[in-house]
Amino acid sequence: MSSTRPMHRPYGVHPIQWVAMGAVISLGLVPLSLALLRLWGVTGITPWAALAQFHEQPGAVEALKFSVLEAMASTLLTVSVGLPLAWAFGRYRWQRVRLKRSLLFLPFVTPPIVAAAGFLALLSPDGVVHRLGLDLRSETGFIGTVSALTGWEHPGHFIALVVAHVWFNLSLMVRFVEPVVAQLDPSWEEQLRLLPAGETLRGRLRHLWMPVLGPATLVASAYTFFFSFTSFAMVKWLAPSSNTLESLLGEMGGTAGVPGYRLETSLAVLGIATLQMVLMLAMLVIAGRFERKHSHVLALHHEGLNRERNGAPSRRWAWFVNGTLALLLAPLFSVVLASFRVRSPEASGGHEWTLEGWKRAWSGDFSTVPVMDALSNSLSYAVITLLVAMPLGYAVASGLVTLRRNDRSRLAGLLDSLCMLPLSMSAVMVGLGMVAGILRFYPDLFTFPYLPVIPHIMLVLPFVIRLMVPAIERIEPIYAEQAAMFPLSRFSHWWHTRGAFLVVPGTMAASLCLAFSLGEFGATYLVVRAGSWDSLSILVDQVASRPGFDPVVFPTAMALATTLMVVTLLVLSINERARAWRLRHEL
Amino acid sequence: MTRFLMVVLMLSASLSGCLADELVAMDDGPCIGTPVTRADDGTLRILTYDITAFSDTMLTEFTEQSGYEVELILAEDAGGILERMLQTQTAPQADVAVGLDNTYLQTAIDFCLLSPHDVSTDAVDDVVMAMYDGPLAVPFDQGHVCLNYDETAVDGENLTAPTSLWNLTEVEWKGKTVFPSPLTSSPGRAFMVATIDYFENDGDANTTAFDWWKAMAENDAVFTTGWTEAYETYYTGGYGPWTDGHLGGAALTVSYCHSPGVEAFYGENWTISTSLVLPRATFHQVEYGGLVNGGANSEAANAFLTYLLSEEVNRNMPENNLMKSVLHNATWPETAGYGFHTDEPTQNANVSNVRIGEEMAEWLVAWSVATQ
Repeated sequence: MSSTRPMHRPYGVHPIQWVAMGAVISLGLVPLSLALLRLWGVTGITPWAALAQFHEQPGAVEALKFSVLEAMASTLLTVSVGLPLAWAFGRYRWQRVRLKRSLLFLPFVTPPIVAAAGFLALLSPDGVVHRLGLDLRSETGFIGTVSALTGWEHPGHFIALVVAHVWFNLSLMVRFVEPVVAQLDPSWEEQLRLLPAGETLRGRLRHLWMPVLGPATLVASAYTFFFSFTSFAMVKWLAPSSNTLESLLGEMGGTAGVPGYRLETSLAVLGIATLQMVLMLAMLVIAGRFERKHSHVLALHHEGLNRERNGAPSRRWAWFVNGTLALLLAPLFSVVLASFRVRSPEASGGHEWTLEGWKRAWSGDFSTVPVMDALSNSLSYAVITLLVAMPLGYAVASGLVTLRRNDRSRLAGLLDSLCMLPLSMSAVMVGLGMVAGILRFYPDLFTFPYLPVIPHIMLVLPFVIRLMVPAIERIEPIYAEQAAMFPLSRFSHWWHTRGAFLVVPGTMAASLCLAFSLGEFGATYLVVRAGSWDSLSILVDQVASRPGFDPVVFPTAMALATTLMVVTLLVLSINERARAWRLRHEL
Repeated sequence: MTRFLMVVLMLSASLSGCLADELVAMDDGPCIGTPVTRADDGTLRILTYDITAFSDTMLTEFTEQSGYEVELILAEDAGGILERMLQTQTAPQADVAVGLDNTYLQTAIDFCLLSPHDVSTDAVDDVVMAMYDGPLAVPFDQGHVCLNYDETAVDGENLTAPTSLWNLTEVEWKGKTVFPSPLTSSPGRAFMVATIDYFENDGDANTTAFDWWKAMAENDAVFTTGWTEAYETYYTGGYGPWTDGHLGGAALTVSYCHSPGVEAFYGENWTISTSLVLPRATFHQVEYGGLVNGGANSEAANAFLTYLLSEEVNRNMPENNLMKSVLHNATWPETAGYGFHTDEPTQNANVSNVRIGEEMAEWLVAWSVATQ
């Protein structure tokens, strides 16, 4: 006689899901605690005491004001452009939609130094923006007049930075909002039109679209605010006279955490990083709560249905979407052009169009890492990030949804917030925490070639969870009850009651994983790393940062950046095929 | 939830003590060898920054000659190397550190980060060896940090070339200078050290270098994080104006006395930049390699430092690394005006490495206060 003991499931959550939640929370909590404790140990001052001294740190108050202002402006503008874009993508049938989506995603994966180079080319005296009469760089003409009349220092730099942030974050808005538009039951709108409240566009916006799109928009806005607030490289290049808290931390982070050596920087980092973390965590928690409070169980429809019903877009929508895409591609096109443009050796002010940059990029002797090795490292990191973050994120999201369904919303909220910790942390703290942790527990990890994957996974997991939680919540439990009546294998049961509904958000989460990993270098940079395992994005940054005496240095960096863009585009296009496959099988 | 937070706080408090014990602070006692925490796997690990001379070809040649595989651990700059060594002091990951300059070397020595090498320095120039001739570091390249100015802007009419650093605080120079911050830039740090010596020997006991830096800040000098922003974004005399994003406005910056030579080398003997070699306002910068205390492969590390000092590698420093060789009778190449446009300082600032190590932290705080 055999007996199977029923598996103990605290609050209905599977033990594997508990383990996954523990692992994800540890990924954020352990480096954070180690970094804070190290700084605390070195300075002898608690994080709270350091926080009280925040205003005494040189440049900190100005950096805080600038971070808040530019992040608010960037978020407002991103929502203004991104929301209609997401609407158009979700509602209408577009030709070459896979390519369009992949192109839209490119800015998100472009290393900041490359993006900055693209923008600087547009803003330079030869660039399109300057030729249109807007001198955002030297701030002459109209921008100079604005500055003189208002006393606003460097309005051109501020505008350039905000536009660059919008450029970077627009895809986030589309990724979060588009599926909601696409998957909403069209009959809701039809029924609302019959009611007095839905007769006007304003009424439909108020009673249907705002409640439906609000949570996704707010989540995307929260991330846009977060990325703009913690902007680092873009600020350095586009607004050189200003600092965000993150760029201020970046300037002094390297010397922090060393006993007896420049203690003033440890104290400043402790105070500034604590404040930034508290602010970011509070914002992410509030956004998460709002999302949960306003989350609706929407009737699920495959995403092609709305598009089929609404057909091709009007000419106005087509102009808007294609025009926005063209504008998004402009800085990237500048990067491609820059890879062929070499300054004339006689420094007469002219340029030559040559393949020198490409030749040097592929000859492999401009650096210690041949380009093919860097490319293969990048792809390895991206695939590992995907393979680890997706199942882990799914398990955590499932656990959180189960807790909520079992009336454990407060516990779910706390765990959800803790899962967001890595996003609230400064890259300096991630780096310091990892160094402290590795030193303490397992120094051999420094030579582990896949070490940079850890910060990649840390940073993508909150996104995967945020995408998966609402997607799982929208699946009505009745599907599982109905499927239980059929003799299905465990996998078939899971697929028909859950898996099949998650292909679209899953594809998006996978895109984010791949894109983030391919383009990310910030946190990787701060982890002690072996040069032979450098990724392509690090190589681009490394070559672009070299002194430019040699006229071929910059075109070489841009040739490498172009290679990275093409690879990313290919990877994302392949990923989008999964979504297309799902669509074909639904239709 | 409250219980959970209490547990986290209690754990944190106890861990704080544990972690503090892990940290190694500088003291005045003798250096004790750090235990080797990493097994020697036959690969030489070099902690360095993005030194252009370390190309794939150069490293492959070393591997062919010596049999040692090489892996680089890259920091951002000379300061980054020191920071990495300090942060990983209890479990060093590199065998050799290459790229510490003489403004950082003493700190590395004081913190016991280096161990004695076994490399012959007979071929190294005496002047270079006079900077540091101890057993813990081997010089491998050199240059002089000094002010550079744009000859077309400093034309003798609108602006005249300074004969004293105080000239730069005058109204004609208002908003026309840019300096990389000594807090975050190696050349910036070297120039700050030069100003210490300059104002200690200018015959005026009432003013210090920091009075001058304060006056420069009041004269709208721009301070940047690194050399690249200063030279590329603001300085009008270098290659910056031909790059996108150039802002200009600065006719004078801190770079190397041979930077105009490098401009000419890549510009077919054409440059509008020149250096200002005021006595004691230049700093002789030497970059060093040293064995990491606690490194696993000292034999390979010594072999690499020896290779760095070899004729074939070191004589080519000007072309491959844009710095001067440290070997006897080293010269700048004459190709395309490289040597012609490179000025030799008349009298470098004279500040010992020991003093730099002792007072740097204090100077950096004073500089921050002065330029705020």
